[in-house]
Amino acid sequence: MAASAADVRSILSIPDSGATPGPSQPKKSTAQSTRKPEGISRELYSLIGPSAPSLAAQLAKPRLKQKPNLGGGGKVKWEYRPFKNSGRKDSLELKHWVKASTPLDTEYPFAKYNVQSTVYTYSQDDYTRFLEDKDWTKEETDYLFSVVQEYDARWYIIHDRYTYPRSGFTEPRELEDLKDRYYSVCRKLVRNRSWPGDDASRAQLISSFQFDKERELTRKKYLVSLENRTPEQIVEEEALYIEIKRLEQNERQFKKDREELLRTIAGIESGLPDIIEDEGILNLSIDVKKKKKGSSAMDIDSPSTPVPPPPVPVVKRPQTAKSAAYDIANCIIRTDPPTTIPATKAAHQPAYLRSFKLPVPKAAIAPKVTAALAELGISHSRLVMPTRDNSLRLEALIDATSALVETKRLVDKADYEIRLLKTRLGMRESEGADGEGDGGNADQMDVDEGAEGTQPIGEDGRAQSVVSTRSARSRKHTRRSVSVSSVDTSGTVSTRAGTKRQKRS
Amino acid sequence: MVNYGGDEVAAIVVDIGTSTVRAGYAGDDTPRAIIPTTYGFHHIPSEGDVSMEDDAGGSTSPPKGSLKLYIGQNGPSLWREGMEVSNPIVDGLIDDFTVIPPLIEHSLADVMRCTPSEHPILVTEPTWNTPENRERMAEIMFEEFQVPAFYIANTGVLSAFSAGKGSALVIDIGNTMASVTPVVDGFVLRKGLAYSSLPKLVHAHARHIIAGKRIDLTPHQLISNKLPVDPGAPHRATLREDRIPGTTDSWRTWSETKEVEEWVQSVVGVLEQGWNDQVAASRPPRQYEFPTGYSTYFGQERFSIGEQFFWHSPQLVHGNPGLPRHIPALISDSLRACDPELRQVLMGNVVLTGGGSLFPGLSDRLSAELLRTFPHTKIHAPGNPIERRYGGWLGGSILASLGTFHQLWISKEEWQEHGKPIVGQRCK
Repeated sequence: MAASAADVRSILSIPDSGATPGPSQPKKSTAQSTRKPEGISRELYSLIGPSAPSLAAQLAKPRLKQKPNLGGGGKVKWEYRPFKNSGRKDSLELKHWVKASTPLDTEYPFAKYNVQSTVYTYSQDDYTRFLEDKDWTKEETDYLFSVVQEYDARWYIIHDRYTYPRSGFTEPRELEDLKDRYYSVCRKLVRNRSWPGDDASRAQLISSFQFDKERELTRKKYLVSLENRTPEQIVEEEALYIEIKRLEQNERQFKKDREELLRTIAGIESGLPDIIEDEGILNLSIDVKKKKKGSSAMDIDSPSTPVPPPPVPVVKRPQTAKSAAYDIANCIIRTDPPTTIPATKAAHQPAYLRSFKLPVPKAAIAPKVTAALAELGISHSRLVMPTRDNSLRLEALIDATSALVETKRLVDKADYEIRLLKTRLGMRESEGADGEGDGGNADQMDVDEGAEGTQPIGEDGRAQSVVSTRSARSRKHTRRSVSVSSVDTSGTVSTRAGTKRQKRS
Repeated sequence: MVNYGGDEVAAIVVDIGTSTVRAGYAGDDTPRAIIPTTYGFHHIPSEGDVSMEDDAGGSTSPPKGSLKLYIGQNGPSLWREGMEVSNPIVDGLIDDFTVIPPLIEHSLADVMRCTPSEHPILVTEPTWNTPENRERMAEIMFEEFQVPAFYIANTGVLSAFSAGKGSALVIDIGNTMASVTPVVDGFVLRKGLAYSSLPKLVHAHARHIIAGKRIDLTPHQLISNKLPVDPGAPHRATLREDRIPGTTDSWRTWSETKEVEEWVQSVVGVLEQGWNDQVAASRPPRQYEFPTGYSTYFGQERFSIGEQFFWHSPQLVHGNPGLPRHIPALISDSLRACDPELRQVLMGNVVLTGGGSLFPGLSDRLSAELLRTFPHTKIHAPGNPIERRYGGWLGGSILASLGTFHQLWISKEEWQEHGKPIVGQRCK
């Protein structure tokens, strides 16, 4: 159904540009000139034209897939041949089919499986010298050895077939009796005879004949008692077993959790692999956390200026003089891992470029700092050459700028308040003359008077709200400070920052 | 060839059981010849009877002494006037050796169409076979059939081999005998053998039930025509009065036994989880039509027959001191005689074989019974009925086609040199 390019061209009356016409439009001249290929009917050829040569070629020669050559090739001749088995002592000839290519005198392939176990024999002299046993006669020992040889030391069968009439006994011998006797005789024979090999192989052979009859009997007794358990006993045993498994699993789980916890915390706090120290640090860090929590939640009397959390004792790696010299020689600067990162799994601090960790001004005053730096033509976010010194300098510069901006802000604020108070003073002066002394005090900014006098009346709502969070110590501090207003505002600012931080944590 | 250990020397395996004689080539998976062990015979006067020869059809009838034998598929099952029926096997052992050569001759020469003197022959024997019996069998093979080599192997061992196991606890439920044989490393532990004629008791129980229902067991050979009747209605069959006077008692007994057996085989089942009246009653009854045309439904009683394999009522035990032991008793007796170390091994390799084990539910019941005491029990019970019924033969077929086995044959030369004792020495 798909229209060929030629169809499209003819529909759009575009002159045929291509040299090859579509299959639906065979050029008559070419069709006449080319010969019809073999194996394709004339009608089909006139339909499809010469443009499908591959199809025609396929039609021309139908061919089957080549048969795989599995080697050998051709027929295999088999012969029904008599054979002799070298495992047999007689001349029995059985017949079987073999490949005619096998030579006539081949060894019967299964004869090699006819392996005989080593037989231990002893003479009468041997027996009287070291094989005497009060429970065994020589005849019975002989019989035992013949049976063992006959059944290739398959002890269960030997025990089953062992029938030796013993005078005075009706009970047949136990399997362990037979084994004990046989192995002890073998041991003695090996020990007392001249040995062609070395002592090690001899000892090995003797040890292979070791047989502890008592132990075997006890083992069998246990086996029987195991079989004779009542179903209730079995059920109880199984329940106990499951219980033990459960306890073991709990123990393992607990151990795993504990290890993981230790690794996480210890990895951050100290990086020390030693478990005892880790435990100490663990306790310590928990204490720190508790303290932090207490200070934020309950301790209202704590100073409004937030004290930095007590520094966690960082155990430094012992830095020897040698390593220090090495560091200097190779321009290696060691930095202590930051201690304030929250305890997460990422205890390991990855390597980073110094330029990635440039100091950043405080977010509140960042625009002003940036503007101030821009005035100097310095970009705080980019250092052309972020060496250690440069980044330290930049940090110092940003700190200085921040301080400057902060100071500027405080100055502006103080100016504003002075102006405000002045206007108020002016208003009072216009009202009456009794408040003159007060006004002069305020103007001079005497400490005690100003603090006592201005606070109840002169503070706006914002300051009021802050009062409650301030402690007595801060008041004392304010009394001592030089400027009422400046101390107050700084207190307000820092307290707010403190509350914010507390909320965040 | 050496890879799988097989080397076929065209040996023949002959497995003589109570119900059938199985014979076939070693290496095959099915016996070629399966003929009934039961044979018919006529006491013939001194002069030979030529006309009877034609009557026998495909079956052979070599005159043996003063007997004319009818052996094979057309042996006892064809009605002949005055024909007696007998079975040479008593309690699994060959009791009457006179008919054994004709039976083997028939299965090898007439059914398999082979010459016994060209093939080594492996014969099976039950575990409780006597040394005299096996020597006699060797004698028959060497002296009468002129076999080049002979071996006699234990059915228990062969059943274990047919399951691909060297060590197994073989539970063989046959036509007349049920046996439990511990096999270790291809040897029978004779002390652990336990057997009883339990199937006979089951058969007697079935017969008792049939008799209690007053069902006519006239075989089809004695019925000329019959009309269909509703279930439970009395049969409307016409007997062949002409044949009745010529029917012998032994043939009558045999044919009735056969009818009961067929009924048992098609009706009897075993409850998988032990006897339970409700479960037995809830099973659908099964209809069975006897040769007379009489048909009826059998419900609970068909499971009570199967129950005989596993449990005997106290009054039954009390009334019959010589009652054959049921299967759990046989198993526990067998295991008690075995070394405690072997018990786990044996219970992990239980092989269930024999045609009598084919009752539906029997293997499930057995495994339920055994799992109660031995949680590690694994039962190998071939689902293929041929494998289950002829497990002994199949094991013989495997054994006699092994390349390593060929040194064990008792050759004719050895037989002539050593005589009978060689059988006991070689076939341990």
